[in-house]
Amino acid sequence: MQGHSRVRRAFRLPASRGQIARELEDEVEFHVAMRVQALERAGLTHDDAVAEAQRKFGDVQDLRDYCVAIEVPHMQRAHLRERMYSMGQDLRFALRQFRRSPGFAVIASLTLALGVGATTAIFSVVNGVILKPLPFNRPEQLVQLWGIDANGHHLHFADPTFDHVLAENHTLSAAAEYNSGNMSLSTNGTASRVTVAGVSKQFFRVLDVRPELGRMFAPEDQQKGSPMVLVISHGLWTRLFGGSPGVIGTTVKSGQTSMTIIGVLPPGKEFPAGTDAWYPREPFGEDQSYTAHNWNVIGRVKDGLTPAAATRDVSMVLRRLHTAVGDATWTFDGTAIPLRDQIIGSVKVLLLLILGASGVLLLIACANVANLLIARMAVRESEIAVRVAIGAGRGRIAQQLLIETSLLAAVGCLGGIMIAAAGMRMLLVLRPALIPRVGELSLDWRVLVFAVVLSAATAVALALIAAWRGTAGDLRAALSQSQRTQGGGGASYRVRGSLVVVQLAMTVVLLIGAGLLARSFIALMRIDPGFRTHGMVVAATVFDDPRDADYLGRRSVYYQQLAERALAIPGVTGVGISDAPPFSNGSSNGTFLVLDNAGVKIVPSDLEALFKDKSRTGYATYRTATGGYFKAMGIPVLTGRVFDASDRPGGPQVAVINAALAHKQWPNGDAIGKVIEFGNIDGDLTPMTVVGIVGDTREEDLAADPASAVYVDFDQRPGNSNEMFVIMAAEKEGSTIGAARRSFPRVRADIPMRFLTVEDIIGRSVDSQRFMLLLVGVFGTVALVLATLGVYSVISYLVAQRGREISIRVALGASASEIVGLVVKQGIVLSLVGAVIGGVAALAATRVLKRLLYQVSPTDPIAFASVLVVLCGVALVASYVPARRAAAFEPMDVLRGG
Amino acid sequence: MPRDASDLLHGTLDVLVLKTLSWGHMHGYAIAEWIERRGEGELVIVDAALYKALHRLEEAGAVTSEWGLSDNNRRAKYYSLTSRGRARLRSESETWKRYALAVGRIIESS
Repeated sequence: MQGHSRVRRAFRLPASRGQIARELEDEVEFHVAMRVQALERAGLTHDDAVAEAQRKFGDVQDLRDYCVAIEVPHMQRAHLRERMYSMGQDLRFALRQFRRSPGFAVIASLTLALGVGATTAIFSVVNGVILKPLPFNRPEQLVQLWGIDANGHHLHFADPTFDHVLAENHTLSAAAEYNSGNMSLSTNGTASRVTVAGVSKQFFRVLDVRPELGRMFAPEDQQKGSPMVLVISHGLWTRLFGGSPGVIGTTVKSGQTSMTIIGVLPPGKEFPAGTDAWYPREPFGEDQSYTAHNWNVIGRVKDGLTPAAATRDVSMVLRRLHTAVGDATWTFDGTAIPLRDQIIGSVKVLLLLILGASGVLLLIACANVANLLIARMAVRESEIAVRVAIGAGRGRIAQQLLIETSLLAAVGCLGGIMIAAAGMRMLLVLRPALIPRVGELSLDWRVLVFAVVLSAATAVALALIAAWRGTAGDLRAALSQSQRTQGGGGASYRVRGSLVVVQLAMTVVLLIGAGLLARSFIALMRIDPGFRTHGMVVAATVFDDPRDADYLGRRSVYYQQLAERALAIPGVTGVGISDAPPFSNGSSNGTFLVLDNAGVKIVPSDLEALFKDKSRTGYATYRTATGGYFKAMGIPVLTGRVFDASDRPGGPQVAVINAALAHKQWPNGDAIGKVIEFGNIDGDLTPMTVVGIVGDTREEDLAADPASAVYVDFDQRPGNSNEMFVIMAAEKEGSTIGAARRSFPRVRADIPMRFLTVEDIIGRSVDSQRFMLLLVGVFGTVALVLATLGVYSVISYLVAQRGREISIRVALGASASEIVGLVVKQGIVLSLVGAVIGGVAALAATRVLKRLLYQVSPTDPIAFASVLVVLCGVALVASYVPARRAAAFEPMDVLRGG
Repeated sequence: MPRDASDLLHGTLDVLVLKTLSWGHMHGYAIAEWIERRGEGELVIVDAALYKALHRLEEAGAVTSEWGLSDNNRRAKYYSLTSRGRARLRSESETWKRYALAVGRIIESS
């Protein structure tokens, strides 16, 4: 009843301001005419009657303004009501449609959810990593400074080099040195391993950070010999101190060193990322060497200047310095890189690439839903033709379709956001090292807006496709045709066929990408790293006693006891200790000298001259290790021997080298017995005799060739690192870790340690590759499923459409296999066209993967061929099913039913 | 001396229009004529004010309108009372009567 009166009202509802005025005009004209008639009857002349009637009517202009003013808003409200009403009608109609074919609604919205979810999840990463500015004030002013060596490689700064830059530059408002490390931190008797950064005076001025609590470093903390103070991160504050304000002034211990906490940094302001605490570097004094490249440097560019200006400035300062001090410095030049570029660096391209891949997935999903919609349009063509015939405009039909696709997209958007949230949680768990700032990721408003806009655009695009298909063409043809075939015309098949081809082509690109990554990953995992890949446990420890005269003695005793404890654990077959095993991220490289014999005495002043003779120098990784290290790591001894009890701390010093170094330095195979000096790492200039050659090991990057390495005896040259690694060979890793966790603290409870299995270690080194493989693999699989559905639906449609033709063929004696062949041929043609287009596109697209591939060319024929075979196979199956159905047609049923 | 009804107190014209329409649907001119006749020449209405009242009442939902043909076969807009208009007429006539009575008492008490 209500609806009825509303509809009636709609018929005489003025459509515009002009119409309101016109109707009023008519009304007034009628009134005046009637009045004139009456006055004439009363005896007035026509002219007098008109004048009198107009006078009596009053101000027409005023009346018009009055009526327009009250009726226009009324009209607008009424129009809005009508529009809402018709949308409500369409919405109810759409819901009814979906209820009638729930399969379609579920598949379509799920498909959209997948596409939107994948794209949104990846966008959230792009958003967090690339789009969000660094969490500091005026972040565009922050730069990372680098020295540049003779070969154009980046160099860290040495103290005097940095001092020159600080004093002589004109473009930086502040600059600071920092470096990172681990240390133990004891509070109330429990030790934790924390990541710390030693920072120079202006560090927090560069970042422009204020404390959340307490204060930052003051000049009195930044003198040589000042008592140690710490500023801690918000995270550490809540983790170790429960967020209590009483933390300011608390004394904590690192080994035997006491430190006072003076400030807490606000959350999210940690730099470098992951740092738990900062201490002033000045109390430890400066290193006067120009070649002790120990420091990272950040700076803030002055207001109004650019990083490019800072680069020119720093470059000039460092070139002048090189001219002044010559070979004493290895720094030839310098550069300033925007901090943001430094942090996101090469990941940017990769992330945009993944975003592209997820965009492709969304397109595939859209193509699929469009395909489904068109199939439904074909079925509904007669319904729509009827609606058009009874007067529904194209706009109204489009509105109806838009409401249907919007409903689908809305459900898809919700599902997509859920998928994105789940994907993000997975990302946070995986925490791929590949992605910087991963901790800053969140589903913020930008991501949500992105998802909603994406879904809306999808809905509009789908509605346009469907409306174009639905209202195009001759109505009468659609009406008469639909009675016979319940299908669309030939044009519909071409549209759907090309959508499927596009889908297949995009799937091919994704799958080939995944295939290349998979083959590369397999190749990586097949690499022999040169040490045990299972049955090994590593305990990473930090020995943070005060650096007094007895430090090395206490350290040596501690690790000796630890090694004994480790050997006592049942199942442990070998124990070794080193400061920098592969993957520890702690190895140092340097230049060593080759000497004539072990009797040579070297003093530091000789070094410069000796280093000039390039034939007598070599370059290698330097690490200290115990004799048991090689057996525990499973590194084979190739020639000679490793360290044993005969190598005493005061006795003749020995060295073990790896095969790569032996081959490079002494290609004639006479390395044993050679004497080298390798003092520029730990300052010990005593010559060492090479006593053994061991197998090569791969370092942090499995894909890189093994580096040359020199091993020195832990007893003779303990090194000065506070981080040491205890390596245990044991089949049962879990129980070994459990036993070590119980046993090791009995030696000393205040030394923090972390246990890793070798599987963890190797796994971490292929993190990036695994992550990319997982992502592209998932995308590729989803795309394949969608494309299969696409092929299936388009072939089914074809079979339905050509039912009569097929029936006639059967009636004329075509065999079942001929019919199957006929239909399958269509599927094969589609998939071949898609595969060829996709293959060509992949040739161009996979080149960007080159950097991630190991021993696999971006045009690897095996990956390409196998994907094409898989695709064609899938297409075959997807078209065989409807083909069987076609072959089972009873000709008379189809002909009669038609 | 006839009175211009639009000079009368606010709302009076509305009541007169509603009362007139309670006799059946009419176009604007007929309403004006009817009021003038019933007012026996004492109430003269400026036509523009009458139409303002009609459109105001229509916006308020007290009357509805429809285009139709007049007795002499011309297109005219006919107004009729809605149920809301009928209710409004009842309550406003009551108010008006009490008001007129009060004013009369004051004037006659001198």
